Amino acid sequence: MSPPAASQRYPSPSQPSGKSEVTDLKTQLRQLAGSRAPGVDDSKRDLYKKVISYMTIGIDVSSVFGEMVMCSATSDIVLKKMCYLYVGNYAKGNPDLSLLTINFLQRDCKDEDPMIRGLALRSLCSLRVPNLVEYLVGPLGSGLKDNNSYVRTIAVTGVLKLYHISASTCIDADFPATLKSLMLHDSDSQVVANCLSALQEIWSLEASHSEEACREKESLLSKPLIYYFLNRIKEFNEWAQCLILELAVKYVPSDSNDIFDIMNLLEDRLQHANGAVVLATVKVFLQLTLSMTDVHQQVYERIKSPLLTLVSSGSPEQSYAILSHLHLLVVRAPFIFASDYKHFYCQYNEPSYVKKLKLEMLTAVANESNTYEIVTELCEYAANVDIAIARESIRAVGKIALQQYDVNAIVDRLLQFLEMEKDYVTAETLVLVKDLLRKYPQWSHDCISVVGGISSKNVQEPKAKAALIWMLGEYAQDMSDAPYILENMIENWEEEHSAEVRLHLLTAAMKCFFKRPPETQKALGIALAAGMADFHQDVHDRALFYYRVLQHDVHVAERVVSPPKQAVSVFADTQSSEIKDRIFDEFNSLSVIYQKPSYMFTDKEHRGPFEFSDELGSIPITPEASSDIVPAQQFEANDKDLLLSTDEKDDNKGLSSNNGSAYTAPSYESSSSISSQMQELAISGPATSSTTPQSSFGFDDLLGLGLSSAPAPTPSPPLLKLNPRAALDPGAFQQKWRQLPLSLTQEFSVNPQGIAALTVPQSLIKHMQSHSIHCIASGGQSPNFKFFFFAQKESEPSTYLAECIINSSSAKAQVKVKADEQSTSQAFTTVFETALSKFGMP
Amino acid sequence: MLQCIFLLSDSGEVMLEKQLTGHRVDRSICAWFWDQSISQGDSFKSLPVIASPTHYLFQIVRDGITFLACSQVEMPPLMAIEFLCRVADVMSDYLGGLNEDLVKDNFIIVYELLDEMIDNGFPLTTEPSILREMIAPPNLVSKMLSVVTGNASNVSDTLPSGTGSCVPWRPTDPKYSSNEVYVDLVEEMDAIVNRDGELVKCEIYGEVQMSSQLSGFPDLTLSFANPSVLEDVRFHPCVRFRPWESHQVLSFVPPDGQFKLMSYRVKKLKNTPLYVKPQVTSDSGTCRVSVLVGVRSEPGKTIESITLSFQLPHCVSSADLSSNHGTVTILSNKTCTWTIGRIPKDKTPCLSGTLVLETGLERLYVFPTLKLGFKIMGIALSGLRIEKLDLQTIPPRLYKGFRAQTRAGEFDVRL
Repeated sequence: MSPPAASQRYPSPSQPSGKSEVTDLKTQLRQLAGSRAPGVDDSKRDLYKKVISYMTIGIDVSSVFGEMVMCSATSDIVLKKMCYLYVGNYAKGNPDLSLLTINFLQRDCKDEDPMIRGLALRSLCSLRVPNLVEYLVGPLGSGLKDNNSYVRTIAVTGVLKLYHISASTCIDADFPATLKSLMLHDSDSQVVANCLSALQEIWSLEASHSEEACREKESLLSKPLIYYFLNRIKEFNEWAQCLILELAVKYVPSDSNDIFDIMNLLEDRLQHANGAVVLATVKVFLQLTLSMTDVHQQVYERIKSPLLTLVSSGSPEQSYAILSHLHLLVVRAPFIFASDYKHFYCQYNEPSYVKKLKLEMLTAVANESNTYEIVTELCEYAANVDIAIARESIRAVGKIALQQYDVNAIVDRLLQFLEMEKDYVTAETLVLVKDLLRKYPQWSHDCISVVGGISSKNVQEPKAKAALIWMLGEYAQDMSDAPYILENMIENWEEEHSAEVRLHLLTAAMKCFFKRPPETQKALGIALAAGMADFHQDVHDRALFYYRVLQHDVHVAERVVSPPKQAVSVFADTQSSEIKDRIFDEFNSLSVIYQKPSYMFTDKEHRGPFEFSDELGSIPITPEASSDIVPAQQFEANDKDLLLSTDEKDDNKGLSSNNGSAYTAPSYESSSSISSQMQELAISGPATSSTTPQSSFGFDDLLGLGLSSAPAPTPSPPLLKLNPRAALDPGAFQQKWRQLPLSLTQEFSVNPQGIAALTVPQSLIKHMQSHSIHCIASGGQSPNFKFFFFAQKESEPSTYLAECIINSSSAKAQVKVKADEQSTSQAFTTVFETALSKFGMP
Repeated sequence: MLQCIFLLSDSGEVMLEKQLTGHRVDRSICAWFWDQSISQGDSFKSLPVIASPTHYLFQIVRDGITFLACSQVEMPPLMAIEFLCRVADVMSDYLGGLNEDLVKDNFIIVYELLDEMIDNGFPLTTEPSILREMIAPPNLVSKMLSVVTGNASNVSDTLPSGTGSCVPWRPTDPKYSSNEVYVDLVEEMDAIVNRDGELVKCEIYGEVQMSSQLSGFPDLTLSFANPSVLEDVRFHPCVRFRPWESHQVLSFVPPDGQFKLMSYRVKKLKNTPLYVKPQVTSDSGTCRVSVLVGVRSEPGKTIESITLSFQLPHCVSSADLSSNHGTVTILSNKTCTWTIGRIPKDKTPCLSGTLVLETGLERLYVFPTLKLGFKIMGIALSGLRIEKLDLQTIPPRLYKGFRAQTRAGEFDVRL
């Protein structure tokens, strides 16, 4: 999957190899360089065009660098632009040669035409050659003071480029302060917007080692500044508006009036023609009202219509991005969208990725009032030409059936699918009918009569076959020819390639045997013999186990293999609500589209908005980023973790009775045991498949239990000293809590004495204070208490925040830790745990 | 923040590469992307946002050209996609269409455009009227001029001052000898009709498109006779929000040239102008099909360019279809198109014939979806009507014009 080297693919044989042509160009350019004859610009243009077209198709033309620069003394702006383009492309590779260009670029920066001044300045900053930064400061300084806004706009971005080449030069020249004053006073909105974007980036990168930058960064989120931007938001262009809205998301409003002021200011942004602006506004609205339940709901109502319009107006690509966000909202608040279900009907010409999302949304919004229409619509898709969508829609029908109480009509529909005699339709339906029967055993009669009519020859897919076999075993007493169908299948044991199906055959034969011994005895014997001779370890083991249990005592065997069952009330959910919340926090980002929180698909280096990893490795990254570069394995582990998670999701989606695994027979006692089996599965699965500790770590993290950012277990965390007189006001806490990533989640058990002492929250607060961990807010009633704690390091102003939920009936405490310094959060947790464990002790 | 933009031809060749930040993106990413999209089959089916091992890729496909943008950092996805759409729109506007040759012939212009549209990975100016002032579009006139005057530059001498004014979408003080302003209502009807002829869903998506050539700084007011039919609206940035809030009038200073003033959605339509009555009966391996198309409710204007197209299911081995009006074509990829044109007065157009199924199949289980196409000039089916267009100061020699048109968008009839 890794990208092949560029040279293998480009240029193709039909394109010129380049060598001789480039030499040709070189001589021609050289001839023109000194000439002042009329019309020379035209011939230069042709040559430049050729050079650039070579460059574009991937031929290396860096060897004509000198000649290009020599020819660049011209007044023709198009020639200049081409030259700038060329120089920008090759300067980084030829730092020595680029010194040549500095001269003419600096001259152009003083040109009387503002366009040339601007372009030259942009090119100068785009050279990005570290040893030339000294030449940048002067032109940038005068560019920032230029009386033309075009030049100022470019100069501001130039400052940012300079910062990335050499941060110290940029800071020493005091450019951030200049930008700040420009941001507050410049009349041109584009200049202001660029200043904001540059300052955000510079200060957040500086913040790690400069307190001043940290303060400046905070000040960007101060009330006057936010209102300064929001009041003028209409003057900015659409992209700058997105930038301002992004900033507004981070702002912590002081009170509810503040919230309503902002929403009033921004309300008309929801009508903007640019989808990016609308989505950014939606994010501001949602984040602002998180704490106000009623208003939050009204916000959903308000944003619904603009989002639905965006879906129908844009290209499929835009629709998809918006639908992904709608999907998230629909899943969070299905009842609000329940009346709009028709918007999620699929049109024939839509790409499959859009249809798939729509199907999921239809499933989510189905309720008592609209189920009939939705299921009718979904059934239409089952006859769709696109097989993947047909399958998906059958699954959707099944999911709705599992959600609803009134499943009568749906079961009929499903049974109709079985009569369609399309193999993939039959296969999907069988799997669903099996799940339905597990949840609603009362339907068994209707289903069994139809399922009994299916010829097992028409079912080829392992999952479907396994489902059919499970039903044959489970309802052997209701299907007259169940033993014979099973016998038939067992006779073809050798041809059955899927171990999953063979496992099910064994179990079904057993179950059938308990119900109708005389008819099944022979088949069971063959099955056990074949199973014990099977080369597949699990099949072999299960056959042997059944054999021995039967030998021991048939009644015990029956109790083990086929105990009386209760209906499954809830199937294990595919995605935990915590993950959904995380994605929601990252609204209007890639997370929503991938349907995964960012920590699951970005590695740590990229998580911040502005941090890059540089593959070429020539530009030093920020000290912060380089100091804790994540080892490559970790990244790999992340990857694996990602893969595993999808695998696991699929398994759960199939809702098969664990037929994906070899560890459990499809027999269970109660609903709780099935979910615990699932968990067990989830944990044992990766442990066997991966050998490195990192990857299993990554997996834990996926379950929300483990340490994502803490590198492999630290043997002995250094003892942490906390400041007993730490102080933090609630506003700052809230802001920090929102900004910092979650670094740890852990569960402890609380000792019984502690639980006894925890009659009121105050007792714990006092106790923790004696351990220098301070409480900022608490609440809840027995048995659930919730606390927010903070603590500071004794020596430096590094803060730890913790959310602690204690359930006194289960004597468990769940702690989520966020920290300024990620690396010491483990140590803090240890301190926290120790403190908590002493609670209630005399 | 975008790091790089690539333009790929329909054979996967890199036509253009624009690096936006100091972190160069290697071209090999395109090869990875192309292999990926080939393995996905139809490129239309691949996702607009995908993750490669090293980058997040955003792609849109327009007229066979893939616009591919790369990023390594988290960013609002819609921003990238919207931006690419703008790039495609501006390019096709400048080059008079989009195809491989046009891009290759004018790659210098494309570079110039990208240079002004995005800097350091952050979008700058995407407003066509301002770009037009900075970079002259390549046209016959400018080519002629350059030959005649010897001034070969396609860059205008002046800088757009619009960026500094409070209406960034409008150039300062354009002058026209005749002042013209045209308003077009363009509506698309999206509908799903089930096999019993019931309307499952019907909605209209409409746009108010304008073309304005007005001197100076005109202030316009557009009002509708029945704005209450509108379900939801979106505006060009030039539209002032308050007048719309209080009395549903559009008050704005228009950009110069063509633009989309507003888009809207109208829900809960009860009727479609045409009906389609399909009938399918299958019996022992053959399938009789008949489809009737007729006018359901007379919209007051003629319905033109009526077409009906559908994909024959894979299990159909041969088809024999004919009609009593219009022409029927069946392409080798099993796409069947029935071009009806206008409905004749004396008869109801009917498509009929037989489909022969693959051997072994008794009945048809996968039914095709018929896609209906039509166009009605002179009327907006949503019923939206423009009441008047006022100018605050009336320039000399003013022409105003209104038009309306409705066409089928995604109009599915299920068999």
